[in-house]
Amino acid sequence: MKQTLMGNDAIALGMIHSNIDMVSGYPGTPSSEILTNVQKLKAQLKLDLYAQWATNEKVGFEVAYAGAIAGRRAAATMKQVGLNVASDPLMSAAYIGNLGAFVLIVADDPGFHSSQTEQDSRVFAKFAKIPVLDPATPQDAYDFVSLAVDISEKFQTPTMLRPVMRVCHARQIVEVKENHEFNPKKGKFQREISRWAAVPRAGRLRQGYEMIDRINAIKEYNWEELIKPEFEACKGGKLLVLTSGTGYGFAKEALEDLGIKADIVKFKMPYPLPENKIREQFANYEHILVVEEPMACIEEQIMASNVHGRLDNTMNVIDELQKIYIQDALTKLGLYKGENLYPSIPFKDEIPARPPNLCPGCPHRDVYYSIMKVFKKKKSIYPSDIGCYTLAINQEAIDTVLCMGASVSMASGFSIADPEKYTVATIGDSTFFHGGIPPLINAVYQKHKFLLVILDNSVVAMTGRQKPPQRQNGEVDIVKIAEGCGAETYEYVYSNDLNDTISFFKKMKEKYENATGPIVAVVREFCVLDKEVVGQHIHGEFAKVIAEECVACDHCTTIYKCPPMGYNEEGKVEIDPFLCIGCGSCLNVVCPTEAFTVDEERSK
Amino acid sequence: MRYQVVIAGFGGQGSVFLVKILALCAGNKNVACLGTENHGMSQRGGAVSCTIKLGDYSNPIIDPSQADLLIGLEKNEALRNINYLKPSGTLAVNAEDSFPKDDVSAKVIQIDAFTKAKNREFPIQGLNVYMLGVVLAKCEDFPFTLEDVKEALVQFNPKVAQENIEVLEKAIEDIKGK
Ligand code: SF4
Ligand code: SF4
Repeated sequence: MKQTLMGNDAIALGMIHSNIDMVSGYPGTPSSEILTNVQKLKAQLKLDLYAQWATNEKVGFEVAYAGAIAGRRAAATMKQVGLNVASDPLMSAAYIGNLGAFVLIVADDPGFHSSQTEQDSRVFAKFAKIPVLDPATPQDAYDFVSLAVDISEKFQTPTMLRPVMRVCHARQIVEVKENHEFNPKKGKFQREISRWAAVPRAGRLRQGYEMIDRINAIKEYNWEELIKPEFEACKGGKLLVLTSGTGYGFAKEALEDLGIKADIVKFKMPYPLPENKIREQFANYEHILVVEEPMACIEEQIMASNVHGRLDNTMNVIDELQKIYIQDALTKLGLYKGENLYPSIPFKDEIPARPPNLCPGCPHRDVYYSIMKVFKKKKSIYPSDIGCYTLAINQEAIDTVLCMGASVSMASGFSIADPEKYTVATIGDSTFFHGGIPPLINAVYQKHKFLLVILDNSVVAMTGRQKPPQRQNGEVDIVKIAEGCGAETYEYVYSNDLNDTISFFKKMKEKYENATGPIVAVVREFCVLDKEVVGQHIHGEFAKVIAEECVACDHCTTIYKCPPMGYNEEGKVEIDPFLCIGCGSCLNVVCPTEAFTVDEERSK
Repeated sequence: MRYQVVIAGFGGQGSVFLVKILALCAGNKNVACLGTENHGMSQRGGAVSCTIKLGDYSNPIIDPSQADLLIGLEKNEALRNINYLKPSGTLAVNAEDSFPKDDVSAKVIQIDAFTKAKNREFPIQGLNVYMLGVVLAKCEDFPFTLEDVKEALVQFNPKVAQENIEVLEKAIEDIKGK
């Protein structure tokens, strides 16, 4: 049956069609829709399966992995940076293995579209010594889920599926199974202490040897089942292209465009490669070009004198692939002498950049505005974290961003390093659960003095509005967590009147002066894209600017920075009616000359 | 058939929706397609460009100088992506009359949809569908017909299909006079 699917839909459906019945993960672009889609399918088809967000990737990995140890088919989903968090259990799980299936789905982001780093999870799989499958398209992504399940069960090893953003968010007509009868397995944990609780050194050493045997057996399998048929279709000649995942699509199209005949071998499983058997094929060619992204995973395994790629600068060394890089590589190898088929001729004049910005009406904007007004830019250090609120960087209200939870630990560090300044850290609710709690405990018992503002909008807004723990039922409460950690904790319920928010932070500053350890301010907010709650908060109070009063001081366009505010041709600020959602927040404080007033006509 | 489309706009303008509709059109006509969309920043006012390649392709990205059609939901986003368009391609753009047509080597179909929306001639959320209507009316090599698009709109969401179809027809009406 054919269906038009996005890669992440295809993976979710592939999971159901492979009878995976335990799925856990943490949201992160480009992986987020996978688990969301499993949840949708569960509801639609009334399936009996576990599909839930975990507090972070390590927790998600461990929940799912336990399922696989107990014999079920399980999967964990995350983005590449999330795998850093889950790398601890991964390294051990690779030694121990599993009884059922464990598919670790990690979405990479070549080109940094929405990530801090461009790391290659295939290289992580190689580091951990587990097999990895690299889909090129949504169709591959769907097919490879069941292949991953087979490999994971056959070899009793965690198996990674590594789609990149251009697979996760690609859309294609995909051939999928019809009338699948969902048939989950029953879990049955079998006690085997020497396997599941292997301690150093004797237990782990034996498992280490088993892991090496396993990876060698998988190499053999990779050759016999997946690679040999590809080489059998090859003809030999000037050029052999070795590739995996999206590299295949780039290479195939570039060779067609440039009119160059070459053999292309696509590795479905780029690690572990049977390197010697592959090298035996090299005698039939003058040049071997490896096309892969974002790092040299294949190339490092099969290095030889006539192999070219990223390591010898024949291909691009960073950033997402483009066909022009392949054209350039073929030019360097002397295989292409024609014209540039992909000239990029930008528009002759400069076009203003359009950086993403906090949404109109987003409470984060008021919170940051108030913090800056009270604590001042020069007198304070502002470590922050990962989420929508990172966009307050546009308001110059953020000094550092490192990784999930680091705002709290770095606040500790800054308070030690530069105690003359105020340190005001900001973190979202989901990020606090993910990585913010242990550093808060650390700060309390070591008495680091800073203000931690937890922006609780009760939604993981950045990645598509997944629901965090406190939303499911009332049992998890951030205020109680912070108190339980021993921090002096205050709560503020956000109001659209900016004066209220400013007074709250004035109070926080007084508390700060007298504090001997960290103080926490939990700000109860909402997200304007959160349809379930936004109606209670936004009342349609639209603003307009009285042109005569506007002195073009830039205050609203640079410090408050709500997207509808911009200069018109007369050099006066105007509010764009298409963008303003009528939150009314800017009306009282933002403009020093009080040029902002209620637009009575629209506010009716 | 081979046909490559870039859709450029900014957060909240619905570029992704257009890709979904074109993918449905392709599916209904049994044409292979491969598209990509940007998520993450897409709802927060950042620049968003999506692609869809119709026909036998193996990679979803469109390279510079390769697109047959660029749909610009906004003037600057159209110009930012102009390098993806073939010199012989078509640009359908929502822009005021000051749009620098003469500096673009492709064929330009231009309409000021913002002003029409401001005058409440159609709902602003329909801007993307409006621009698709413009394409249907004026872009000769566009591979789908009005009927194909209507069918896809109904398939996608029958509840709002009628509204969307009205926007589509309004656009066709508006551009015909030009
Ligand atoms: S998505 Fe929600 S939290 Fe994020 S910027 Fe917009 S309103 Fe704020
Ligand atoms: S009322 Fe003011 S602050 Fe609120 S969305 Fe409109 S312009 Fe922005």
